[in-house]
Amino acid sequence: MPVLKEYVAALSQPTLGTEATRYDEVVAPDGVLRPPWKRLAAVASGIGAGELSRVDEQIVRFLADDGVTYSRPGERPTAWRLDPVPLVVDAGSWREVEVGLAQRAELLNALLVDLYGERTLLRDGIVPAAAVLAHPGFTRIMAYGSRNDPRPLVTTATDLGRDATGAWRVLGDRAQAPSGLGYALENRKVLSRVLPELYREADLHRMAPYLWAFRSALLQSAHGELPDPRVVVLTPGTHSETAYDQAALASNLGFPLVQGSDLTVRDGWVLMKALGRLERVDVILRRVDAAWSDPLELRGDSQLGVAGLAEAVRRSRVRVVNGLGAGVLENPALLAYAPAVCEHLLGESLRLPTVPTWWCGDPDALAHVLDRLDSLAVRSIEGGPPLDGRPEILRRRILAAPHRFVAQERLPLSQAPTWTGGRTTGQAAPRPVSVRAFTVRYGSSYRTLLGGLGNVLQDGRTVASKDVWVLKAETGEPDQGLAEVMPVSSGRSLPATVPRVLEDMFWVGRYAERAEDLLRLLLAAHVLVEDYRSRPRTSGGLSLEVITGLIGRLSGRASDDYDEEFRSLLLDPERPGSVAQSLEALRDALSGVRDQWSSDVWRIFGVVDRAQSTLVGSPGSHQMAESAGRMLTGVLSLAGVTANMIRDPGWHMISVGRYLERGQQVRHLLVALTERHGLDVDREVLAAVLAAAESSVTHRRRYRDYVRPAGVLDLLLKDPENPRSLGFSVARATEHLAALPASTGSTRPERLLAALTTEVEETDVAVLVAIGGADRPNLRSFLDTAGAQLDRLAEAVADLHFATGPAPRRFGSLPTLEPVP
Amino acid sequence: MRYRVEHRTTYTYDDDVTDSLGIAYLVPRQLPWQQVTDYRVAVTPTPGDTASDEDFYGNHLTYFQVIEPHRELAIVGSGEVDVVAPLVDARRLDQPWDAVLPLRQPGLPGAWLATDLVLPSPAVPTYPGAKEYAAHSLLPGRPVGEAVTDLMHRIHADFEYDATATTVTSTVPEILAKRAGVCQDFAHFTLSCLRSHGLAARYVSGYLATEPPPGKERVVGADASHAWAAVWLGDEEWLAFDPTNDQWQNDRYVTVAWGRDYGDVPPVKGVIFTEARHSKLDVSVDVAPL
Repeated sequence: MPVLKEYVAALSQPTLGTEATRYDEVVAPDGVLRPPWKRLAAVASGIGAGELSRVDEQIVRFLADDGVTYSRPGERPTAWRLDPVPLVVDAGSWREVEVGLAQRAELLNALLVDLYGERTLLRDGIVPAAAVLAHPGFTRIMAYGSRNDPRPLVTTATDLGRDATGAWRVLGDRAQAPSGLGYALENRKVLSRVLPELYREADLHRMAPYLWAFRSALLQSAHGELPDPRVVVLTPGTHSETAYDQAALASNLGFPLVQGSDLTVRDGWVLMKALGRLERVDVILRRVDAAWSDPLELRGDSQLGVAGLAEAVRRSRVRVVNGLGAGVLENPALLAYAPAVCEHLLGESLRLPTVPTWWCGDPDALAHVLDRLDSLAVRSIEGGPPLDGRPEILRRRILAAPHRFVAQERLPLSQAPTWTGGRTTGQAAPRPVSVRAFTVRYGSSYRTLLGGLGNVLQDGRTVASKDVWVLKAETGEPDQGLAEVMPVSSGRSLPATVPRVLEDMFWVGRYAERAEDLLRLLLAAHVLVEDYRSRPRTSGGLSLEVITGLIGRLSGRASDDYDEEFRSLLLDPERPGSVAQSLEALRDALSGVRDQWSSDVWRIFGVVDRAQSTLVGSPGSHQMAESAGRMLTGVLSLAGVTANMIRDPGWHMISVGRYLERGQQVRHLLVALTERHGLDVDREVLAAVLAAAESSVTHRRRYRDYVRPAGVLDLLLKDPENPRSLGFSVARATEHLAALPASTGSTRPERLLAALTTEVEETDVAVLVAIGGADRPNLRSFLDTAGAQLDRLAEAVADLHFATGPAPRRFGSLPTLEPVP
Repeated sequence: MRYRVEHRTTYTYDDDVTDSLGIAYLVPRQLPWQQVTDYRVAVTPTPGDTASDEDFYGNHLTYFQVIEPHRELAIVGSGEVDVVAPLVDARRLDQPWDAVLPLRQPGLPGAWLATDLVLPSPAVPTYPGAKEYAAHSLLPGRPVGEAVTDLMHRIHADFEYDATATTVTSTVPEILAKRAGVCQDFAHFTLSCLRSHGLAARYVSGYLATEPPPGKERVVGADASHAWAAVWLGDEEWLAFDPTNDQWQNDRYVTVAWGRDYGDVPPVKGVIFTEARHSKLDVSVDVAPL
């Protein structure tokens, strides 16, 4: 039976009457589809459980391929969840939100102006002073008399829900660094791909013009008349809860993603450290909470901010969006006073009602709240989920500091069909939903996004998101009501010039190469394992030991059982030197510069994750090789992404990292040739080394099947035509290094590389293979020297290209000098 | 009384500092009982960027940035100040202390401004121990001047002045447990006592001119920066008093700045960028009667 029909039928069953007080987004109480779904019914009623389940699986895969994650504070990132059933709203119903939020943004802006300026609201007692001053978002350093910004608010986010009558209610405001727009964009991208017919049929507002408006709002928010203001997105880094959202927004807007350490303040201006130069930044879209934004005037222990930022803001030399004081607007106590504030500041009545809220600092409100503790949701004015606990415990907590708490009516939020269960048991079940809606200042007023980020709630926690489809009132209406649409360039507007970006790019190259080379070595070793695991004393068995010894030098040895050992190397990210660890580090490095990549790059991990979970599910030697092979395919696809990148310093730096790492890895392989174990063993070892270095075919073409140390060394050390040789790696590293702006021809990394090049060119293979006892001492010493040189080279590259200077320290935080006698 | 004040703070490092950003609260406030003349803040090396401003509480602050590499940074605030003892309206001192509680009577003139100084602040959280300690002085209906003065006497008697007992970051519970501390700790503890009963009270930072012992020469630079407290009496009236020295503020007190606690008005704070591993701090204060 079609999912929609089943949902309608289930709702009409009296047994589900427990949820009868909720407004249903799809079905009216009389069992008839609501208008927006009527329009979609023709297509929607053709979708059965089997198809929706398939769509659900596709969504999971697309989101994994795009690397979309969310992390709760202190937890590892988890996959972003998107429900396949969109939340569909028709134009008429959304109009209430659109107009209401435009007014609300105007109100929040006026509130901000008043609270940081004349404070008439507090003086006249319209908002109790304690309700505002007790909130940590009230930023006193932004409330100096010298500062007076008439339009401090550029963008807002507001959480909304529908009450039992279907009327929209404000649940709360997000103003200091609203998150969610990046997720909303991704939701739309994915859902339009997996439900193309429904998407086409819906005739909904596309989001692109809103992004264009957002971009132009940021550009126009710069102080002064600048022809080409520079805008950056300031992120706390890859470990932030909403790192994906920040990066997605930055790359959709075409503005660079920077961290605090990429910026500095000089003479009250904010500057970006770009390749030895300092470039002025005019607008900062801030995703770092105010308290962490400036170690000089706010939290002194913050490494995420920019020292002097607050002063630059006060002097109007940089625009921070939203301003450092905007967090005060997130205070739920303000919800209790919104109607009066609206009358006082705008001279209008509030359009969009808020969820009934009482601030406990008011004696009458307190009495009311204490009477109804069992039915109200009590929360701290600092935000967070409602407090748990028995009424008498809540009572005690509130009475200890009433001004720190609000209580709110528990709204029976509207419900919408949400996909639950798998292919056979799946169904669309009613779940409560809320919507995060967004506004941005556009020209002289605020514009509401026709769309949003839907939240599916369970026990008050968000369990999945929904795409929000706002339908057009009539065909041909322009998207977002914006007639002139200028496409936002979704490419990168900024060359990768920030030292931190170059550093991440370098490590992308290194970790990708490291993972690739170890995977090849594992696959070569696996062949030997299959042939010789049961014949330890034979020449084959001995060669297996030599090759696994090579792996051991990279990652230690965890188990005597080969299958166990290889699985751990592929799956255990905690194991130093393992494939899994390199891939985890690769993911980290890529995330740090997410705005620099096309979303294709995340497919690597889609492929790798699936190969890993298959291996977890079915252990066994054969599956090991199969999974390692697929992981290798995944890693190799990075080359496909980099091939299409702009040839900027970041691109060159990936190659510098890749070739330095390749040089190290081939050197490491050749260590196997420094000891001799007898002709037969050595021949097997040489063959495995060639396989691990992806050079077996070349070798066979050149030397037939006659495998000798001299030939292998020539091919892997010196051959300038073999992409896997040390000589080739050094030559490519030299070219890419020379292309970097900071290179002059005589910088230390360039000089070190030149010395290494000469060494490789001048070394004589005949001398290297010379035997001394059971060893090849010349080869050993050559490899040792080359290894040390490559290490020094990597350090020199870091010193020259990545140095951003020391981190900020507070005055007096350094240990005291011993008094000089 | 007229004084010449010099407050010198010097940081010495064992390696170059490439960037210093700082904020100094060193210039005294202009007040009905205090005239400030020829006051300046000098930073060496000369900052590439400097600015002055008035903060949320009306204090004068100096912002500076030095980007010339340096191993020594000196910040000197100096100038002349004329002080008389602040006059406090006796009728206000006679009001019951529990009639000037901003949270309970938000309609009182000026209560909305005083509210900021009732609420807990980073260095002065609400602490039941302080509330209990103060309850013996803050008896219901007692005149605010008398109650606060009694509290001041008790703190002075019960707490020992001991520079080794606490650090800059000592918390109110630590101070109460040790019953010892420096002027900053006495002030923070006093604020905690008053605020936990709903009184508005502010942290005052400044100088106290010391008198040389009879027959001795005044020792230049032997003074120190000082801190005390003030309690709100309604409107814009405050009673400033010094629990460390068991007296109300008089004409030997120079008021520099006030706020919720030390963290709002440190004489000097800042951020450095350096590879240096050690630093040395020297502070000298001289308050010379003219």
